[in-house]
Amino acid sequence: MLHRDSASYTTFKVLNTLFMCLIIVTVMIPLLKIIIDSFDGKASETVFRFFPESFTLDAYKVIISRPVIFRPLIISVVVTIIGSAVAMTITSLYAYGLSKKDLPGRKFFMGIALVTMVFRAGMIPLFLVVNQLGLLNTIFPIFLVHAMDAYYLILLKNFFEGIPSSIFDAAEIDGCTPFQTFVRVVLPLSKPGLAAIGLFYIVFFWNQFFDYILYIQTKPHLHNFQVFLRSLVIETDTQGFEGFSFATQSLKNAAITVSIIPVLILYPFVQKHFVKGINLGGVKG
Amino acid sequence: MGQSLANNKGNLLSKLNRFKMFYLLMLPGFLFLIVFRYVPMLGLRYAFYDFDLRGLGDFIGFSHFRDAFTSDNFIRAFKNTLILSSLNIVIQMTLIVSISLLLNEIKNQFFKKVVQTVIYLPHFLSWVVVGAVFNLLLSRQGGLVNEVVTTFGGEAKHFLGDQSLWRQTFLFILSWREIGWGTVIFLAALSGIDPQLYEAAKMDGANRWKQMVHITFPHLIPTIIIVLIMNLAKIFNLFESVFVLYNPLVYKVSDVIQTYTYRTGVTEFRFGYGTAVGLTRSVIAFVLVMGTNQIVKRLRGESVL
Repeated sequence: MLHRDSASYTTFKVLNTLFMCLIIVTVMIPLLKIIIDSFDGKASETVFRFFPESFTLDAYKVIISRPVIFRPLIISVVVTIIGSAVAMTITSLYAYGLSKKDLPGRKFFMGIALVTMVFRAGMIPLFLVVNQLGLLNTIFPIFLVHAMDAYYLILLKNFFEGIPSSIFDAAEIDGCTPFQTFVRVVLPLSKPGLAAIGLFYIVFFWNQFFDYILYIQTKPHLHNFQVFLRSLVIETDTQGFEGFSFATQSLKNAAITVSIIPVLILYPFVQKHFVKGINLGGVKG
Repeated sequence: MGQSLANNKGNLLSKLNRFKMFYLLMLPGFLFLIVFRYVPMLGLRYAFYDFDLRGLGDFIGFSHFRDAFTSDNFIRAFKNTLILSSLNIVIQMTLIVSISLLLNEIKNQFFKKVVQTVIYLPHFLSWVVVGAVFNLLLSRQGGLVNEVVTTFGGEAKHFLGDQSLWRQTFLFILSWREIGWGTVIFLAALSGIDPQLYEAAKMDGANRWKQMVHITFPHLIPTIIIVLIMNLAKIFNLFESVFVLYNPLVYKVSDVIQTYTYRTGVTEFRFGYGTAVGLTRSVIAFVLVMGTNQIVKRLRGESVL
């Protein structure tokens, strides 16, 4: 830089940096407060501390030892794994078909997916379909009802279309069936896109709660950790938790922390991918 | 003529044959769309029937809609939906665009990365977690916020249980979760602006403010329009956020069409009425999106959808 910044620009830069720091603090304080307090035996005396006054893992021990808490956690894990696997399979296969430019009826298959982005029948008609299929009070509607998101479908389709057609020709000449091409060529070449969409589905299924309340009304033992968390922290009545006289502040904080952990673990790995994935999809879509 | 038709037919058949494997692979997705997206649309007819736990009754025309629009609770939910959605869109769009522009001015790449990493994060937390976090922080007894308020001599407030505070609190929490994520697409658009434009503007003596007004902002307009239309599509989608943050104390300012649909339709088993109310919401959202798209088409000669 040959020129020097003017005084007003320097002032702007300092204020801008301070403003960004303020934003960071605003976003982080609520989360830090919860995580720190979950290790604090004296968390009920709430004054902000960066380190717990009396460090303890009691709250986490309770979570692992009580089936009433541990079971929803397992359900969350299992449903997240199955749900994202199913959704990724269905979505990427459909996107693979759509990415074939000369597929007869391509416009139709694209169109019926796009319509669902702007118009849906709504909660009650979908609820009644699930009921008619006999899926009410089972775990199946949780992952069947959201098995394909039109927006992610378009992103993946764009990703697949970005693969040079010469590679497909080569695979065809080598005698690959379309499915073999998909598994051996398309999937390995689309890792950033798959990672991004995969993360979105994983987070979606991990964060699900309303569908459990809607579709599983009479079998609360099928509810996941988010539903448990909601009844622990938000609903004031503590029915069903008589098992422990321990619904203390730190247990609530620990439950929230447990629910955040998977997201925090996955987040740094996939962050670079999802920004790239979204941008590529966004620019072309 | 006849020959070419037969030929076309043969072509189509052999084409379909060549692609049969692809159709097979697409089948699960296709079935999903039919069963869980299009069959429910047939259920929209329930909006015109008398339908409750006893089953499907008589055709009653627009009765449910008349009932809805004369019901105080529905009118209230309708108003709240409009108020919360429009405030939310205006606040979020303003903040997202401003923060993107400011963030774009940060030249230290490491610091910029740190800010981005932090502000994207809340978007990935479930509404239950966000609701739980703020319920604890805003709690009247011992919540961090009221702790600070009382330390400075203020009076402890019931942020989520007070009709005069609920909307502000709700919009703040909504912004806390979504604004950072909203900047992703704008930062992408900003990084795509040709640096030569800025060089040329500097030559012409434009200062940084003028560069922003004449180069940066105009380049953001297409993105702003896309995001606006996408947000309009979601405009009435205030369900989970409201569901975890409202309570009977504040129904008057917080009940929205979707929470109202859930309470009447599912918990009171008024399926026909619930369908009618939900349909009203879907139709309005659809009209808003298509209308905006049409306006954009008129103004700019190209549509987004």
